[in-house]
Amino acid sequence: MGPIKIEPTKALDEALTTQRKLAVALDTLRKVDDVDFGVTAKEEIYREDKLVVYRFRGDRPPTAKVPILIVYALVNRPYMVDLQDDKSLVKNLLARGEDVYLIDWGYPDGADRWLTLDDYINGYIARSVDAVARRARVKKINLLGICQGGAFSLCFAAMHPHKVQNLITMVTPVDFQTPENMLSNWVQRMDVDLFVDTLGNVPADLMNLCYLMLKPVRLNQQKYIGLVDILDDKVEMENFLRMEKWIFDSPDQAGEAFRQFIKDFYQGNKLVKGGLRIGEREVSLANITMPVLNVFAEQDHLVPPSASRVLGEHVGTKDYTQIAFRGGHIGIYVSGRAQREVPSAIHDWLAQRAGP
Amino acid sequence: MGDSSIPDWMKQWQALSQQSLNAWSDAARGATPGGAGMPGAGFEQWARAFTPAAAAGPAGTVDRLVDGAKAYVAFMQSLIAAGANAPNGIPSWSDALRQAFAAPGGNALFEHPLAQMWKGAPNGGFAGMPNPFGAMPPPADLGDMKSWLKLPAFGFLREHQEHQQKGAVAFVEYQEQVARYNAQMLEAARRGFELFEGKLAEREQPGRQIESLRALYDLWVDAAEEAYAEIALSREFQEIYGELTNAQMRLRAQIQQEVERLSVDLGMPTRSELNSIGERLQALRREVRAQRGGDALIDEIAGLRGEFEALKAAVKSSRAPVTREVPARTVIVEPVVAKSEKARHAKARKTPAPAKATPPVRAKRRAKAERAERAVAAVAPGNFASRIAKFADASLGSGRRKERPPADKADAGKRKKKKR
Repeated sequence: MGPIKIEPTKALDEALTTQRKLAVALDTLRKVDDVDFGVTAKEEIYREDKLVVYRFRGDRPPTAKVPILIVYALVNRPYMVDLQDDKSLVKNLLARGEDVYLIDWGYPDGADRWLTLDDYINGYIARSVDAVARRARVKKINLLGICQGGAFSLCFAAMHPHKVQNLITMVTPVDFQTPENMLSNWVQRMDVDLFVDTLGNVPADLMNLCYLMLKPVRLNQQKYIGLVDILDDKVEMENFLRMEKWIFDSPDQAGEAFRQFIKDFYQGNKLVKGGLRIGEREVSLANITMPVLNVFAEQDHLVPPSASRVLGEHVGTKDYTQIAFRGGHIGIYVSGRAQREVPSAIHDWLAQRAGP
Repeated sequence: MGDSSIPDWMKQWQALSQQSLNAWSDAARGATPGGAGMPGAGFEQWARAFTPAAAAGPAGTVDRLVDGAKAYVAFMQSLIAAGANAPNGIPSWSDALRQAFAAPGGNALFEHPLAQMWKGAPNGGFAGMPNPFGAMPPPADLGDMKSWLKLPAFGFLREHQEHQQKGAVAFVEYQEQVARYNAQMLEAARRGFELFEGKLAEREQPGRQIESLRALYDLWVDAAEEAYAEIALSREFQEIYGELTNAQMRLRAQIQQEVERLSVDLGMPTRSELNSIGERLQALRREVRAQRGGDALIDEIAGLRGEFEALKAAVKSSRAPVTREVPARTVIVEPVVAKSEKARHAKARKTPAPAKATPPVRAKRRAKAERAERAVAAVAPGNFASRIAKFADASLGSGRRKERPPADKADAGKRKKKKR
């Protein structure tokens, strides 16, 4: 008895079905609407250079007294947290009474090539936090950092603990040199100075190619073969195309910030080893004394769980909680399970720490 | 071989294969007005038919879909064809797979549609910028070429020659690293097939067998990714990847330098000049911010503003008429009176006044005023003045502050008088 038991007629039928679906796809793809994203109403409350801070508006006024500011990564657009009506972390947080703000970094260009991590963290993030605090008439706010934005939030909270009431990190790398971290392995011998001096800003296409090569067959081929199954479903196709747009709608990376991020975080692993300086300040995770919620994804191929779960060993707080989500780096925002589990987990955790 | 040697299922297979080709042609004709529908070329025509529609969706999706589907269909067709040519009429899938992948080892492995991406792998990741020399075949003997390129240059144009030689050396070194990287990818493909065979062996028990081409394909993907991860996480790959990236950057830097020289000759602005301006601009912005006191001072001002607003709100909410009637600024104002009149007033103050019963309205006002003071103290418990002083220290500097004490002292004295 061999391992393959495919009836020849069934195999051919499978091939023909695939072909027929592909033929139908032509019609379906022509009918799909332009994909839009960012479903929740929002207002601009602060603007500086290309950065904009938005406040989201829910169906009813927020009940939470302390607002949440979402700090997204620089490497992708932040509308992933509000992708579509039934896939929106923002919408689900608003529905639970949270007051949600978000930093949109915009698309850096040549004029931003010299922005440093100090400019981003002690500059842009600090002023965004102040703007949100002023708007909400509070002294401290809740910070929700995602991926690279989570690493930035850790730095900010360590340097400005008096401005952060609670810190939430999602799929955030902390230890950048765990054995499963493929990106880290690739950049260890890279001459980052030569790289940035040559390229200036790091092109978005290059970053995307890099991410695709983390799982080349799955992301370059199998995903599109799976698409055949939904080719005759207009709604599913639109959902797919929306996600596809998000994946490849990426900003370039400001050269100097990239240089420092690769050197200090990936190559130096200074967030856990110590010695990290942002501008004139030293970053020590031990200074993070506010409550911390760390959410990571168990099947994350970009930020392996091992890179995130060590956070508890390094922060100074006595109130540390971590949640391991069953899903991947993107699934943690858009999967059905994520819609049910993640916003309520964040809200409940914050509610337990809300003052009287 | 006569028709009698072909089993019935094989005849059906051949008939279905013909049907498959017809389906391709029909699809292509339907998609492309006036399309010729050549057997075997259906997919290409179908793909071309998408070109105008591609603009409707995110760029590249259709190309991706078509590329992925082409590879998958090629995979299916290669297996079906291999099965159809089985010598005894019973398809041996394992043999068919080996033929399809030309495994183990060998260059044909790279030629299989599913393995094509390994060939393109050097164009992925940090190492993979568009290669300006991509179309050029790598020189046969790179080491020999390098030694020639390192010959010293002479004469009037020696500098130019040296730059060109450096560029050529950078290209040769880049090709060397590409070759090393390709060897890693080939190893990943070979290892992928090994793992694939292992995974197949695990499926021999009834109930675990693979019953569709799609399931077979998915299993191959699992094996391929697993093998790739083994390679991509290794120390050797780390070294090769780093060297490839660095070689690519050295080559690009050389090209950029040549372009810069040309730009200077033509009087065009260069990347270096723009970088220099950008760097200075950002430095200037930081300097301006620092001169304005930096973010710390701006924070302090914002904090004080917030505190001031809170105080105002607290005072307003207390509705104490006293605070409205006697605002802080009025303390500064003192009526100008003659010395003799002042003395008369002082004398009058010394004379004890007869005790009077406090009118109920005045008592009420005093109680309200006390409540307001308590509210203010609750919001900023006694540190407002000190924070204001700190702010003044930070913003004006001690020298300037020194110029202003008289006014402060006068204010303090006047406040005392008012209290009395």
